[in-house]
Amino acid sequence: MAAPLPKRIIKETERLQNEPVPGISALPHDDNARYFDVMVEGPGGSCYEGGVFNLELFLPDDYPMTAPKIRFLTRIYHPNIDRLGRICLDVLKNNWSPALQIRTILLSIQALLGAPNPEDPLNEAVAKQWKENQAEAIKTAREWTALYATAKK
Amino acid sequence: MTDVEERPHKKRRFFVDDSPAAESSLPRANSVADSSQPPAHSPPAVESDDALPIDVFDTGLFKAVVGDGLPDSAVLSLQKRFGDNLESAINAYFDGSWKTPSPQKPPSIPQATAQKPPSLSKQLSKDATSAQKSHEAATASSPPPKPPPLEVMPSKRYIGALGVAGWMTKSGSGLLKPGDNVKIERSKQRPSQKLGAGGKIRQPLRQKVDVIVRFIDSHGSELGRLEQEPATWISTLLDQNVCSFEGHCIFAPERVRTNDTVYLQLTCYLLKQAFDANNYIRPLDNNRQTGLFEAKETQDERDLRMRQIGLVKLFQEINLHPSQINEQTAKHKREGILQAAEVAERYEVDGSTGKKHGSDSGKSTPMENPGSSPPSEGNEEGEELEQDQLDTLYRKAQSFDFNTPEAEPAASFDMDLRKYQKQALHWLMSKEIASTQDHKEQSMHPLWEEYHWPSKDVDGKDLPIVAGVDAFYINPYSGEISLDFPVQEQNCLGGILADEMGLGKTIEMLSLIHTHTSPEQKAAMNSSGERRLDSVNSLPRLPKSSASVEPAPATTLVVAPMSLLAQWASEAEKASKHGTLKVMMYYGAEKTANLQTLCCAANAASAPNVIITSYGVVLSEYNTVASSFVGNRGSHGGLFSIEYFRVILDEAHMVKNRQSKTAKACYELSAIHRWVLTGTPIVNRLEDLFSLVRFLRVEPWSNFSFWKTFITSPFEKGEFVRALDVVQTVLEPLVLRRTKDMKTPDGEALVPLPPKVVEIERVELSTPEREVYQHIYARAKRTFAANVEAGTLMKSYTTIFAQILRLRQSCCHPILTRNKAFVAEEESAAKESDIANGLADDMDLDSLLERFQADEGEQDASRFGAHVLKQIQEEAEMECPICSEEPMIEQAVTGCWHSACKKCLLDYIQHQTDKGEIARCFNCREPIIARDVFEVVRHDDDEDGDNGQNIASKALMGAIEDDEEEEELYSSTQLDQAKTPTRISLRRINQLSSAKINTLLSQLKKLKRAEPATKCVVFSQFTSFLDLLASALHTSNISYLRFDGSMSQKDRATTLTTFATRPKFTVLLISLRAGGVGLNLTCARRVFMMDPWWSFAVEAQAIDRVHRMGQSQEVKVTRFVVQESIEEKMLRVQERKKFIASSLGMMSDEEKKLQRIEDIRELLS
Repeated sequence: MAAPLPKRIIKETERLQNEPVPGISALPHDDNARYFDVMVEGPGGSCYEGGVFNLELFLPDDYPMTAPKIRFLTRIYHPNIDRLGRICLDVLKNNWSPALQIRTILLSIQALLGAPNPEDPLNEAVAKQWKENQAEAIKTAREWTALYATAKK
Repeated sequence: MTDVEERPHKKRRFFVDDSPAAESSLPRANSVADSSQPPAHSPPAVESDDALPIDVFDTGLFKAVVGDGLPDSAVLSLQKRFGDNLESAINAYFDGSWKTPSPQKPPSIPQATAQKPPSLSKQLSKDATSAQKSHEAATASSPPPKPPPLEVMPSKRYIGALGVAGWMTKSGSGLLKPGDNVKIERSKQRPSQKLGAGGKIRQPLRQKVDVIVRFIDSHGSELGRLEQEPATWISTLLDQNVCSFEGHCIFAPERVRTNDTVYLQLTCYLLKQAFDANNYIRPLDNNRQTGLFEAKETQDERDLRMRQIGLVKLFQEINLHPSQINEQTAKHKREGILQAAEVAERYEVDGSTGKKHGSDSGKSTPMENPGSSPPSEGNEEGEELEQDQLDTLYRKAQSFDFNTPEAEPAASFDMDLRKYQKQALHWLMSKEIASTQDHKEQSMHPLWEEYHWPSKDVDGKDLPIVAGVDAFYINPYSGEISLDFPVQEQNCLGGILADEMGLGKTIEMLSLIHTHTSPEQKAAMNSSGERRLDSVNSLPRLPKSSASVEPAPATTLVVAPMSLLAQWASEAEKASKHGTLKVMMYYGAEKTANLQTLCCAANAASAPNVIITSYGVVLSEYNTVASSFVGNRGSHGGLFSIEYFRVILDEAHMVKNRQSKTAKACYELSAIHRWVLTGTPIVNRLEDLFSLVRFLRVEPWSNFSFWKTFITSPFEKGEFVRALDVVQTVLEPLVLRRTKDMKTPDGEALVPLPPKVVEIERVELSTPEREVYQHIYARAKRTFAANVEAGTLMKSYTTIFAQILRLRQSCCHPILTRNKAFVAEEESAAKESDIANGLADDMDLDSLLERFQADEGEQDASRFGAHVLKQIQEEAEMECPICSEEPMIEQAVTGCWHSACKKCLLDYIQHQTDKGEIARCFNCREPIIARDVFEVVRHDDDEDGDNGQNIASKALMGAIEDDEEEEELYSSTQLDQAKTPTRISLRRINQLSSAKINTLLSQLKKLKRAEPATKCVVFSQFTSFLDLLASALHTSNISYLRFDGSMSQKDRATTLTTFATRPKFTVLLISLRAGGVGLNLTCARRVFMMDPWWSFAVEAQAIDRVHRMGQSQEVKVTRFVVQESIEEKMLRVQERKKFIASSLGMMSDEEKKLQRIEDIRELLS
C-alpha cells in the first residue's frame, strides 16, 4: 500500500459516490481506500427482496489485473454463496477482466441473488435443497432474509 | 676577425664589424614579417645631421626635435641607451642605428652567415625597446647616464680562458714551445655548402661535418689541430662568428713529431658581432613567404643547435657562471640543454632510418618535412599528459583576478555583456593594443641568463673596463647573445581565449571586433557616415588587384569548424546593431568573390567586417595557393591574398597537430592580430599548445626546436614540474581562461546557469532482446577467457573490443548488431574464436535475431475495417478501461479492436501469460497475443506551418510502409471531416522497436502532451541507432530533426535553425561525436543520452551543448541504461576512473591496451 492509489481506484470510488447504482452502495474505509463496505439490496421479485446485505470488498495490489476480493457479511441462504459469505461467480474468477469494475461486479452479485444457479453450487446443502424442493428453499431464503437482512434499521 | 683594436673609431668599427650582418639581411629583406611592425617604429632614415648639443636627456626636447610621431617606448629605448647624451640619441634615431645596424656595407667576410633570416632583428629590437620601456619607472626621475651597450662594445671582449689539447701535424724541433702564441683558425678547406640563399643545398652526410680547428704559428703555417671533442664546438663558435680564440702553448715537447700531443691555453673573446641581432641564426622563419621549402631550414636548425651546445660547453669550460637566472628555470637548466642536444644528436645518427618513423607520425610530411629535421623527428607526438598534470596547468592558467578592469563595448555592439565578459574585452583589447601594455616590473626573460664580464683575466691581470657594460645576456636555448636586458615580453598582438565552453567566447570576440577597429576602418566609417550624400567622394577607388598580400584593415577572419559557421553568422548578426557589421560567409558557392578586391584598404568602408570560413576552406585554398601561387599569393584573390586586421581560429584544438596540413595552412594566414579560441588549449599533449603558439607567432616559442629543448625534452625525461613551469610562463601572458565553476569574490557563480538534473532511466530488456544480449555476452566472455588462457589477449584485443561494441549495441537494439560492417567484423572475429575454441554457434545468433524480427510482426491487419477504425477513433478520447486514464496513454488496440493504453494492454497480456493462461481480450475475451496489439498513431497535431508538405510526405511514407509493415488503414478526413478531422493509422507495436526505443517514445509522448513546446535532444553514439529512432519517432508522429557528421554544412545550418525556431515539440537526433563540440542547443531543455560512453566527460560535453550559457530553464537529462547489462558496468567503470585516457579508438599504445584489458575484465565479470 506504499504506492499511491492508482487513478483507476480513485475514479471508481468517485463514481460510486457521485452516480450511485440503485440498490447498491460501496464506501471505502477512511484508513484503507482499497477496502470497501458494500451494501446490496435484494432484487425485487426475488426471495431476497426487502433484504439489505452487507458485503466487504477488497481491491488487491494488482487490481485491476486481478479481480477484487468480495464476501458477504450478512448471512444469506443461496446455493452459490457459502457459509462464510464467499461467492461463486465466474467474473470473480476465470472470467475476470480488467474492463470490469466494482460497480459491474456488484451488479453481477445483485443479479446472482435474482438468479441462483444450483448447477454450479458452492454451498452443496443449499444447492441440494434448491434442486429437490425449490419452494422450501425459497421459503428458507425469505426467512433468512427477514431474519438477518432486515432486522436492523 | 683579426682586428684586435680595443677602441676603434666608431664609424670604422661599425663598417667592419657589422658587415656580415648587413650582408645577411639583404637576401630576404622583403619578408612579410616587418609589416606587422607598427609603422611608427620605423622612423625615416634620412636627415642625418640634425643634432643639438644638449647634455641632459630631455624627452620633451627630444620629441621636439624628432617629432611627436615617435612612440614612448622608442623614446625610452633611446633614453636608456644614450643616457643624457641627447645628441647621440638624436643621431642614432635619425640614422636608424639605434634599432638595427644599417645595411649599407657590402659583405666583406662571406662566412657561414649567408642565410640568416632578418626578422630577429625586429624581435630583438622589440626586446630592447620594451626592456628600456620597463625601465621607465626607475629612470623617469633620474635617468642614469648609460652609453648604448652595443656602441661601446669593443669588437671583441675577453670572457675567459680554457685549456685544450691539440695534436701536431708537423714534426720538427722548436716549432712550438711553452709561451708561444698561436692563432686559432678554422680549416681553410671547409666547403661552403651553406652559401646560396635558395637553401636547396644540403650537406649530404651530416655525420662527416668538418670540425677541424687548426692552430697556426705567427707565420701563418699550420702547426696542428685541436682534439676532436673541443674542436667540435669550437669550430661552431668560430664559424658562426660568436667567439674568437687566441692560444698560447702551455706544454709542448722540445722536439715534436706529428701526432704528438701539445697543450694550449685558449683565451676566448666574444665578438661584438655575436651581439648583433642579425648574426643570430633563427631556425624557422615563421614569417616566410611560402611555407613550402622547409627542408632548407633543417640546416639552420642544426646550426642553431650546434651553437647552443658550443656556447654551453664554452661557458662550462671557462667556468663562467651566470650572475642572474630566472628562478623557475634555474634548476638543471644547462644540463637540460645538453641532454636535449644529445638526444637530438642521437636522433640524427639514426636519422636515415628514422625518416620512415617520422612520416608515419605526421601524415603531411612528404612536402614539408622530408625527414630532415632531426630535432623534431622521432618523438614529435610527445607524451600524453596525465589528467592531474593538465589540471595543475589549467589551475595555474586560470588564476583569474576578478578585479581586472572592464571595458565597455562599442555602441554598435548590441548585447549586454556580463562583468567577466567586459573584463575579457579589456584583456583582449590590451593584448591587441600593444602600446597600452602595463608597465610591469621588469623581469628577465625566463630563458635568458645574465653574465658579468670578467674583470680580471686568467692571469689575474685587470681587463679594460667598458663603461656601463658590465653584463651580457645569453639565451642558452637559442644561442642568442645580447647586451640588452632581455625582458619577458609579449610580442604577439593576440592570444588564446580559453574560457570554458559556455562562457561566451564568441560573444567576447564579437565585442572585440566591434570595439577595437583599425584606424583605417574608423576613418572609412566616418567618411562614409558623413559624406553619404557626396556620391563622388564616397565611391571607393577601384583597387587594382595585387600579386602581393594586401592589408585588409577592416576585416576579421573567423575560421571555425563547419558545424559552427552558421552559429557564428547568426551570433554576429544578433550581437550587432543593424547595419553596423557586415558579415560574409566564405564557403562553398559563396567563395567566388575576390577577397582582395573586396577587403583592401581602399574599400574599407564597404569591406566585410567579418569573414567566416571553415578549416576545410582554409586548407583547400592553401593547397591551391601552395601549388600554383607561390610568391604571388595575392593574385589568387582568396583567403591568403590579404592580411587581415585580425584572424580568429575558433575551436582551435582543431589545429593541435602541428604536422597536420590544416594547422600549417592556418599558420600561413596573415593578420595583424591573431587569436585562438578553445576551451581546451591542451587536449592531451604539450605539443597541442605548441601548435597554437606557432599560429600566434609568439616568439620565441613558435620555434619548435626551442620548444622541444625547453618543454618536450624535459617532459619526456620525466621532469614534469620543470616542463610544466615553463609552459606556465608561456601561457601566462597569452591565455585568458575562466571556468564555469569559478566564483566571484562574493561567492556568486560566474555564469549563473539554471540547475541541471541528471537521472538514470533503467531499462529492462524484453525477453527476445535479453536472449540476443546473453548470447553475445556469453561469446564475448568466452573469447576473453580463451584468450586469457592462451595468453593472446593483446593480439585479439580488437576482436574482443568488437564484441563489446556489439554488446553495447544490442542494448540499444539487437538489429544494430546486424550492421553490415559489424557482421563482417563479427564473422571474422567469430571465425577466429571458432578456431580457438572449436565452436560454431553463429547459427544461434542468427536464429535469435530472426525470432526477434519475427516478433516485430509480419503484416496481417487486413481484417480491420473502416468502421473499426472509426470506433477506435472515438474511443481514443475515452478513458482507458483498465487504468482509467483519460484519454488513453498511447492508445493501442487488440486484434479484436478493443482499445486501451498500450502499457495496460501489454501488462494484462503479460499478466495472463505469467499465470499460464491464454491471454484474452479484456473486453470480449477473445484470445489475443502481444504481437497482435497495434498502436494507434494519430496525425492530429502536425506542425501548422508545413502541414501540406507533411501530409504529403506522410502519405508517401504510408505508401512505402504498406509494403513493409505499417498499415495506413484509414483516413478519417474523408469520412468524418466535421467531427474529427484526425488521421489515424495503426502500427504493430513491436515493430522495429526495442526496450530503449519504447521507453524513450513513451517518455517523449508524455512530455509532448505535458509540454507541447519543449525541445528535446537525443544523443547516441551509434548513427544506425539514430536511424531506428528516427523511424520510430516518425511512426509515432513526433516531429524530429537529424544532425550528424555526414551532413553538409548547409543542411546542418538549416537543421539547427529549424530546431531553434520551430515553435512546437521537436526532437533533435544527434550523434555524440558530431554534437560534442561547440554547438549551441540552448533552445532545448531536455536531453536524452541513449547509451553511455566510456568516459562521462564526453557525455558531459554533449550535455553542455544544452546546459550552457544562454540556457534559461532547468535542464533535465535522462541517461538510458539497460539493467543488468554491460551498460551498468560501464557506469561503474566511468565512476571508478572518471577518466579513461582519450578514446578507445586509438589502440596503438600497448600500455593503454593493458589498462583497458582491465576494464574489459570488469565489463565481462
